[in-house]
Amino acid sequence: MGLLALQRLMSMQRDRRHHQIQPHRNGLIASLAKRKELTCLQEDKPGGKKLRRLGPSLPEEIWAHIHSLLSLRDAARAACVSHLFQRSWKCHPDLTFSKETIFNENLYRKNKTSDETTSNGVKALRLVMIIYHILKNHSGNGVKALRLEIDDVANISACYLNDWLHLAVKPGIEELALLLHDDLDYNFPYSVLLNGSANTIRDLRLSSCVFRPVAGFSSCLRSLTSLELSEVYITGDELGCLLSSSFALEELVLAYCKEITCLKIPCVLQRLSQLVVTDCENLEVIKSKAPNLTVFEYTGGVVEVSIGDAVLDIMISASGWNVVHYARAKLPQMVPNLETLDITSSLATDIPFLPGKFLHLKHLCISFMVSAGAFCPDYDYFSLVSFLDACPSLETLMLSVTQEIVEHDSVLGDSSHLRQMPGHCHASIKDVKIIGFCSAKSMVELTVHILENAVSLERLTLDTVCYDLRCSDGASKCSVGHKNMITEAHKALVVVRSYILEKVPSTVELNVVGPCSQCHAVEN
Amino acid sequence: MATREAGKKMIMLKSPDGMEFEVEEAVAMESQTIRKMIEDDCADTAILIPNINSKILSRVIEYCNKHVPTTGATGAAASDTVAPAALAEDLKIWDAEFIKVNRATRFDLIQAASYLNIKGLLDLTSQTTIDTISDNSLEEIRSFLSTKNDYLPEEEQTIRRENQWAFQ
Repeated sequence: MGLLALQRLMSMQRDRRHHQIQPHRNGLIASLAKRKELTCLQEDKPGGKKLRRLGPSLPEEIWAHIHSLLSLRDAARAACVSHLFQRSWKCHPDLTFSKETIFNENLYRKNKTSDETTSNGVKALRLVMIIYHILKNHSGNGVKALRLEIDDVANISACYLNDWLHLAVKPGIEELALLLHDDLDYNFPYSVLLNGSANTIRDLRLSSCVFRPVAGFSSCLRSLTSLELSEVYITGDELGCLLSSSFALEELVLAYCKEITCLKIPCVLQRLSQLVVTDCENLEVIKSKAPNLTVFEYTGGVVEVSIGDAVLDIMISASGWNVVHYARAKLPQMVPNLETLDITSSLATDIPFLPGKFLHLKHLCISFMVSAGAFCPDYDYFSLVSFLDACPSLETLMLSVTQEIVEHDSVLGDSSHLRQMPGHCHASIKDVKIIGFCSAKSMVELTVHILENAVSLERLTLDTVCYDLRCSDGASKCSVGHKNMITEAHKALVVVRSYILEKVPSTVELNVVGPCSQCHAVEN
Repeated sequence: MATREAGKKMIMLKSPDGMEFEVEEAVAMESQTIRKMIEDDCADTAILIPNINSKILSRVIEYCNKHVPTTGATGAAASDTVAPAALAEDLKIWDAEFIKVNRATRFDLIQAASYLNIKGLLDLTSQTTIDTISDNSLEEIRSFLSTKNDYLPEEEQTIRRENQWAFQ
């Protein structure tokens, strides 16, 4: 439609009484008058007839919007198309700087394999130079996200980092990520956030730097919804000060922050729903009063935990800590509404029958994992019945055992009867998966107990090998901690045939997974 | 497609070429621009959409019809409930078919989506345009976008040099 025709149409409409939509003030289209018709193009009409019509065009605001959605590389290339795109490029909102965004991925991968050391050093230097030039030409306006993901660039000058942050961190910025090399002792200049940009930041991720927020600063972070600190030097008090007024915070992730000994989360964080703490080696206490915390994930050693009763989902991967016993003994009282529990431990002791039940727990995953040797030979898998007994609503159970050798007493060649524990009905259990199913007598007893007492069971999966990698998942070859475990897997298959098959009711679908037929066929 | 039930409020949308479209209020309110008018009580029975012709407007309505959250028994919009994966997949396939249009129509749809403030449609139409920019030469991009090179030769050289990294 030509401009004249449009104007004519517009003037005709002005007299009509109907309400017209006024262009929204912040919308992309300011007015029709801005629309420019450009070149004439031939377009195919359905039916093969060619119609000569004016070529399509869009107002600059819409082009700017489209340009803003381009990846960094595409946006930079598009800047060479015309002045219009160059203007957009100077205020490109998403400045994500990483090897992946700067370098052509295919070329990068090729170089990586050819001469890794030189190529990485040169690449790191080039990366810095490219970031330097992009930011030198950037107006600094309109930045919504600045992500400096340069954790493999050593020896970068703090002056550069300061300059870049000061250029791009302006009011309106929503996301800031600074992921640095761990050799760097960079002191994050929180002053860059004091120009009003702290008000708009929603997502802050810092890695390998020093962050010492002072009192008063934190009250600015009113929009912060997600905070992630990894290998950051910050004390518990400093973090506490930051958290005390981050009222919008929804997600907090702390990893390898070794100055934190006590993590206290105040009840004013009403929106905090997710807390993830990973390997903060000196951490002794986690105390959360956030009333709506629903997800808690913890990796590390023994810690004193107290979290609100809103928690529905807990994942604990413990080192040097008998967390299965801890979970059974403490969690029913602490988190009575828990629905999902996923615990990993290298230690275990038999679980006694204890008071307190997980009335709402639906999904339970217990992983025993040792990096070398056998998993606790004295541990009685059968004692897990007491855990199941405490979970009347349990629907899915996953038990996974990763070890290099099996030292548990085998059921094969054992003439004694299998123990039974009658009187325990696990009415809700529908799906059970045991990964690393072996010939251990107590594991067979547990499996038979489930088959006999889980009256609603629909599916039982016994995976006899706990593979680290599987070729079916894209690995070149299946890999297992120790080749012993392939021999063990074959023993386990014998056990399935001798002890399990006859116990499987017709209503239960049994899946037995053996060693990979392609990678481990020879060792059969 | 939801059948028209008694009590369901209808809105008349008029295109500048005189066509009238009667749509459910909920469908029309997929457009934030129209939603605001309705919420501010600025809309009576008919709303004139001044710069979107009937062909494009009918396609926009088709999009909104497909994307309007299904209404529950209470009549409350179930927009905050998560759509099942199958439904989302169905919508994705539908979107892919919907956007199989020539460039002129796509550009008209982008403008309409922007003007009426329909985020989903703007994202869909923009993304399709972005796909034509990725991995193409400058000349191809210019041709796809019907835009001309307005750089002086030396200007182009400079900007090409500055952004050389993006071509390697």
